[in-house]
Amino acid sequence: MDRLNKIRKKIGALSPDIRVTRERGCIVLRGEVDDWSIAVKAGHAAVDKKHSLGVINDIRLKGFEQKTSLPALQDRALDGRRVDVLIIGAGITGCAAARELSAFNLSTLVVDKMSDVAGAASGANGGVVHVGINFSRKSQKHYYNIRGNRMYRELSRQLDVPFEQKGQTMLCSRNWERIPVALLKLNARILGIPGVRYLKRSELLDHEPHLPDFTIGGMHMPTGGITNPHEMTAAMAENAASNGTEISLNTAVLEMELDPDSSKESGNTHIRSVLTNRGRIYPRLVINAAGVYADTIAQMAGDRTFTIHPRRGTNIITDKRAGYQVKSSMGKSPFSILPYQQKDRPRGLAGRMKFFINTLAGSSHTKGVGLIHSLHGNMLVGPNAVETPDREDRATRADEVESIIRMQQHIAEDLKFSDVIAYFTGVRASTYEEDFAVRRGIFTDNILQAAGIQSPGVTAAPAIAVDLRDWAIEYLEKEIKVDRNPAFSPIRKAVPRTAEMSDEERDALIRSNPDYGEIVCRCEEISRGEIIDALNSPLCVPTVDGIKKRLRPGMGRCQGGFCGPLVMKIIAEHQGTAPDAVRKGSYASVICYGGTKGGRL
Amino acid sequence: MIDVDVLVIGGGPAGLAAAIAAKDEGARVMLIEREARTGGILKQCIHDGFGLVRFREQLTGPEYAERFIKDFEDRDIESRTLCFVSRIEKQDRGLLLTVVSRKGVDKIRTESLILATGCRERTARQVFIHGTRPAGIFTAGAAQHYINILGQQPARRAVILGSGDIGLIMARRLTLEGAEVLGVYEAKPAPSGLSRNIQQCLKDFDIPLYLSSTVTRVFGEDRLKAVEICDVDNDMRPLEGSEKVVECDTLILSVGLIPENELARTLDITLDPRTGGPVCDGNLMTSVEGVFCCGNALHVNDLVDYVSESGECAGRSAAAYCRRESSDPSKAATVELHPGEGLHYLVPQHLDPEQGRSILYFRSSRVFGECSFVVKAGEREILRKKYPFLRPPEMERLEIDFGGYSVKPGSSVSFEVEEL
Repeated sequence: MDRLNKIRKKIGALSPDIRVTRERGCIVLRGEVDDWSIAVKAGHAAVDKKHSLGVINDIRLKGFEQKTSLPALQDRALDGRRVDVLIIGAGITGCAAARELSAFNLSTLVVDKMSDVAGAASGANGGVVHVGINFSRKSQKHYYNIRGNRMYRELSRQLDVPFEQKGQTMLCSRNWERIPVALLKLNARILGIPGVRYLKRSELLDHEPHLPDFTIGGMHMPTGGITNPHEMTAAMAENAASNGTEISLNTAVLEMELDPDSSKESGNTHIRSVLTNRGRIYPRLVINAAGVYADTIAQMAGDRTFTIHPRRGTNIITDKRAGYQVKSSMGKSPFSILPYQQKDRPRGLAGRMKFFINTLAGSSHTKGVGLIHSLHGNMLVGPNAVETPDREDRATRADEVESIIRMQQHIAEDLKFSDVIAYFTGVRASTYEEDFAVRRGIFTDNILQAAGIQSPGVTAAPAIAVDLRDWAIEYLEKEIKVDRNPAFSPIRKAVPRTAEMSDEERDALIRSNPDYGEIVCRCEEISRGEIIDALNSPLCVPTVDGIKKRLRPGMGRCQGGFCGPLVMKIIAEHQGTAPDAVRKGSYASVICYGGTKGGRL
Repeated sequence: MIDVDVLVIGGGPAGLAAAIAAKDEGARVMLIEREARTGGILKQCIHDGFGLVRFREQLTGPEYAERFIKDFEDRDIESRTLCFVSRIEKQDRGLLLTVVSRKGVDKIRTESLILATGCRERTARQVFIHGTRPAGIFTAGAAQHYINILGQQPARRAVILGSGDIGLIMARRLTLEGAEVLGVYEAKPAPSGLSRNIQQCLKDFDIPLYLSSTVTRVFGEDRLKAVEICDVDNDMRPLEGSEKVVECDTLILSVGLIPENELARTLDITLDPRTGGPVCDGNLMTSVEGVFCCGNALHVNDLVDYVSESGECAGRSAAAYCRRESSDPSKAATVELHPGEGLHYLVPQHLDPEQGRSILYFRSSRVFGECSFVVKAGEREILRKKYPFLRPPEMERLEIDFGGYSVKPGSSVSFEVEEL
């Protein structure tokens, strides 16, 4: 049977209202459904990696309209700007690419509609630097993850971002689980991942001293690590900025002007200009690192071969005093079924076999929810994975948070609801192929795609950036001469973390600048001097959230109750503005409406 | 290295009273405060009603604090502001503190320590409010800081969650500053704040109070646009189907205070899960010898007068501890004070029956009408006191001398409320 008809048959069984066609090498789905899960299933059913470029799933959900938040800022600050490279998206991928390109004497502009770098999925990430044991050998996820993982240590050193590499642990609860786990180990060998070992409970305790009671042993994967995704992204951006890259936040791409003659001559489309809320930009080359909107941007550029189907994930942060329960990161093996899960597991031998094969082949994308040690000593619990039609569905939900905690109480047996200090939701930019779509433009000559970057995107981003850099230079060299940037330095210094210094070191620093001795955030022990340093960094984000994400005042147990007003005042003084001009995050996130009525004596 | 007898951490009403009392007992005292000025949270409590018990006057928070600050300054007590305790280590004798200030990193050795670190507010995430993360969600204390210290108006149309006293005070304050307060929502079936605040802050301003009702979700990307309100059942779980959306730009949270005992935790001081503060004896000494606790760090008070009183007790006790000779007061046999039926908590948790007059603070676990407060040693009733009513928001204070009741050290005394 013809491949297209096979797909049609599968999708027809899901819904009679979906039309399936093949256009420009892609499988295209159109129609309208009442139930979003049908649209997602149809998208997955349309995947045919061997014979098509990708799935374009334009199935609409009845009654749903995507609300896209746009920055309230409107000006002409970027109007008419000509740049060599325009990077759309200041998540970890975009910022990593900007940093790589900043080693060359190119004009690079990064735009993002959010008010900070890592404003969406990168910032909501748990920070695991993945081992990548369950990716298929041919996937881009594997290709970039294994390279990215190897880059992390040196990268973290250059950018002065904390990095811990204490491994990842997969827990087993029954003896038979050792069989599929052994297969995973074999997979690791094929993938070239070193050091993966099955350890007995007693040996595993050396790595994770607080194993749940059910653990008989588990797989320890020493290349696993922990980073701080927001700090890493901001560090990349700061480093790029100090090497000459321009970063424009609160800047959304609204449309693209394509060269009308281009496709006739060469068969290739060409982007002539890109319109934003801050004016029209004329780039030689565009890099699409737009996360959940990567398919929208690719569509604007006439180069879409994929579809982002948003998948929400919620992480929970506990108080530091509960942080002892995990040293690095751990979760149960995808095979182990704890007593409480009995009702959810696949039925019958065939169902179970399929489940195992999918898990082994890496095509299962039910994320192994787990416990993650944060570099600041808290414990991160989560994330879950829920399909959603809404690309900006970052609201948390009571039932999900409760179910994540209840589920993880089986792994972290001391976890209590009262230990929770915060929770947040991010939206993964998954494609139906469940793989990255990192490539040169196919239909458009001056675009590079870095789409579908979901887990393990934080690990992979530095390696993706290397390819993007090489492809960008290869393209630009056809038009201009590309030299190295003589002023480039790969080194970025972090704001000093005074609370982590020795008493002598700290004392000397305070004597040189007393602001380092004035503690503004009592929960995280952050000084005024550190906040002023962050405001003086090459990428100043003078908002309460910008400071919170960089230095953590407001991330502790009081959640900014004490320090919020103080941070607002410091920002206002630094920026020379009134306190009510200081925003929480986005351009319209007003904190105070102006002075009170005032009093006269 | 600074060397003192009594080091007080916290320059709010508890810490000031403790430092003054310890100094009057002849101890070498030092007080450290992490903020720029002493006075604690009273600095931003510009409403009146402070000092009725102690001074028989209606003072504002700053006025009340000023009286203690003056007494403190008159005694030339050493103090340091903008000074943050980074670390405390137990030593063979006394404690060694590492403090950070604009002067640098300093070490202070002290014979005894008084924790007067106050409390903090429970946050939106801790009461499991869900939804987006817009601007416009403030704890009541933070909103009070914006208005009363920074002179900034954080609200136009506000919903207040929780009928704790600061929430009630802020309902009035926001109204006076021109904001519209749509209502105060309280998940419990009874208000959490003092009756006088319900009258003076809500009723007098026609602000509605909705009981058994809570905020479950917030909406808005930039600034808060609306909140979802739900009725709750007896276990305070939201009732499905009762959701309604209220448009507002501000959500003020007054959902409880938590004693700040992070330093106590680092010293492995035993905490009472009922109060959130350290387990103390009749001298307000914690489970760690030489470390005392007072004020809202010990248990959350509703009247500052009692905060000062517990500070004075801790200050006197700490000074006495430093004068101690061979006999170690912590080793004195004590009786356990056990909060039984009808009591939420009782402070102190144990005491020496021979110490003479003791002050007990307690809260009932629910609203009682006319009732008896019954004290029993084993099965033997030793005291019975009638109350016209007992309400959890209103802390009760009771002076009692166990000396006459022949209560044996090592035994336990239980306290119960009997409805009449």
